[in-house]
Amino acid sequence: MAHPLPSIAGTDDNILFDRSIRTRWRIGFDQWIGRLLPLLFLVAIIPILGMVYWVSTKALPTLSWTILTGTSPYATDQLGVPIIGTFELMALATVFSVALGLFGGIATAELLPDRVASYIRMTANMLVGTPSVIIGFFGFFVFVITFGWGLSLIAGAVTLSIFMTPYIFRTADLAFTSIPRHIREAALGSGAGPSQYILRIATPIALPQVLTGIFLAMAIGVGETAPIVMTTTAGRLAPDSLTSPVTFMTSLIWAGFNQGNGSPFFVLAFQAAFVLLVVVIALNVVVRVIAARYQRRLEGLFQ
Amino acid sequence: MVRFFSYLPALVPAAIVVAIVIELLKASNLTAFPGFFGSNWDYTASPPQWGIGVFVVGSFLTALPAIILAILIGLGIGIASTTYLPKLATRFLDPFVDLLAGIPSVVYGIWGFVVVGPYLGLTLNPWVAQHLGFLPGFSGARILQTGQGLPLAVILLTLMALPITTLLIRDALHSVPKDLWESGLALGATRWEVMRRVAIPYSHRGILSAGFLGFGRAFGETVAVAMVIGSVASFPTSVFDTTDTMSAIIFQNSDAALVTPGLLEALAEIALLLLAISLIVNILGRRLISSLLTEQISGL
Repeated sequence: MAHPLPSIAGTDDNILFDRSIRTRWRIGFDQWIGRLLPLLFLVAIIPILGMVYWVSTKALPTLSWTILTGTSPYATDQLGVPIIGTFELMALATVFSVALGLFGGIATAELLPDRVASYIRMTANMLVGTPSVIIGFFGFFVFVITFGWGLSLIAGAVTLSIFMTPYIFRTADLAFTSIPRHIREAALGSGAGPSQYILRIATPIALPQVLTGIFLAMAIGVGETAPIVMTTTAGRLAPDSLTSPVTFMTSLIWAGFNQGNGSPFFVLAFQAAFVLLVVVIALNVVVRVIAARYQRRLEGLFQ
Repeated sequence: MVRFFSYLPALVPAAIVVAIVIELLKASNLTAFPGFFGSNWDYTASPPQWGIGVFVVGSFLTALPAIILAILIGLGIGIASTTYLPKLATRFLDPFVDLLAGIPSVVYGIWGFVVVGPYLGLTLNPWVAQHLGFLPGFSGARILQTGQGLPLAVILLTLMALPITTLLIRDALHSVPKDLWESGLALGATRWEVMRRVAIPYSHRGILSAGFLGFGRAFGETVAVAMVIGSVASFPTSVFDTTDTMSAIIFQNSDAALVTPGLLEALAEIALLLLAISLIVNILGRRLISSLLTEQISGL
């Protein structure tokens, strides 16, 4: 949104022709600040490109297919076990958080009166604002200690699902509330009940956006460290039961960091960081592209 | 009845928040620790010392400078992208800021520790100490070569708070009515003058909420800070010094809580304090902006 300097055609009563020092300074300042402020984007661009470049240079020279897929239990240079563990834990956590968050989001958008819905949304926002370390401590106290599940796959999955739930709740809510009002009125006006409207009309429209939200929650969840490290313990094998130890990608990086520079785990941590960064950036880009495309389709269809 | 049951799932987030508060209270066992807000923390001593003052101060000392920097940078980026840059450039540049939110905090931490840390520890911090050493708090006595300490934590927290502050500021500046812009320009003001005298005052609520929500983000951040803060339970004596934060101490000691009597209760009380501050800051921040905007930022 560039705003051209105003000039009144045909008159000299125009700030462009006012050559007083003060005016020249004002205009010059405006132009220079317009050139300098965009440089602040470098504060974001340099760390991102730097991180990707640096993690790649550390990880790529030694990265091989064996490292990515090797699953020998005692090797310190294979990522297979953590990758499988991450998949299992993410799958469980996604299922739990969809079960916990999806229906609540739909109910908030479609069934609750506006006043109540705004309070419900506030609670979801409070949960989004809760630091992940508190969710981790909650999971540690409730699932690991009180329920006696120990540091295990299931404790980590449930804790992570609590972390992911509000994101799924909010996107489901948003997807259903952003359906244009006249569609709802047309459906209800032609005799559909609320359940028919939700299942037959609203769900197909909202589905892509809900799926995007689930992807987003997964992208956020897979990068979380504190809830996982506090509720799981590293396993040498891929988990085969709900109470097995499990190694998550982020907890592997944390463990590698703790082993210190020079240990084989420190090197493995970079390879894990590389894989994680690729996955997370890919998920983010996919979410963005889908969201943009879907938004355009929605606008074209309904406006 | 059916209607009632269909409302129930909507209560899940509220139930989780309530459960967290109740379980934290249960874990804390409402233990009264002597000298809880004091400065001595050493649970291996006998008798153990439970002063959490260092962590409270450490949390604020890392989060406050970070949010001030993030607001200033976010304002600059927001002004540039709403006012000065062509639309094509912003469509290319804005996603970079948003992408900062997507990078896992543990990757920030290890990048900060291995790349930024040594640069700070060996080059920048000594240079600053040499040139500003006459100021109180800038003496170079406590600079670690690894660069761990307050400046590194502040840098990482600034980067992590930047996406949410930039997003909110950008949206707030976008919502300034075009009429105001055009009347300002028609009166002969430059774009900068309209921005400073009209647009920024008009969107001060959005900017303030960016401050609150970004502060909540920085205050609760755990892993990246735990990796770079140095994890020393003492007050920093210079701006380069190491210390520890509330979130980091909970994170790093939960395992020890299984075997150390009293530690679980102490950590639960730190967690309650952290939760209270985070929730207050978040509610304040969200009250300041319209519900529409709240929906847009739910993904961050």
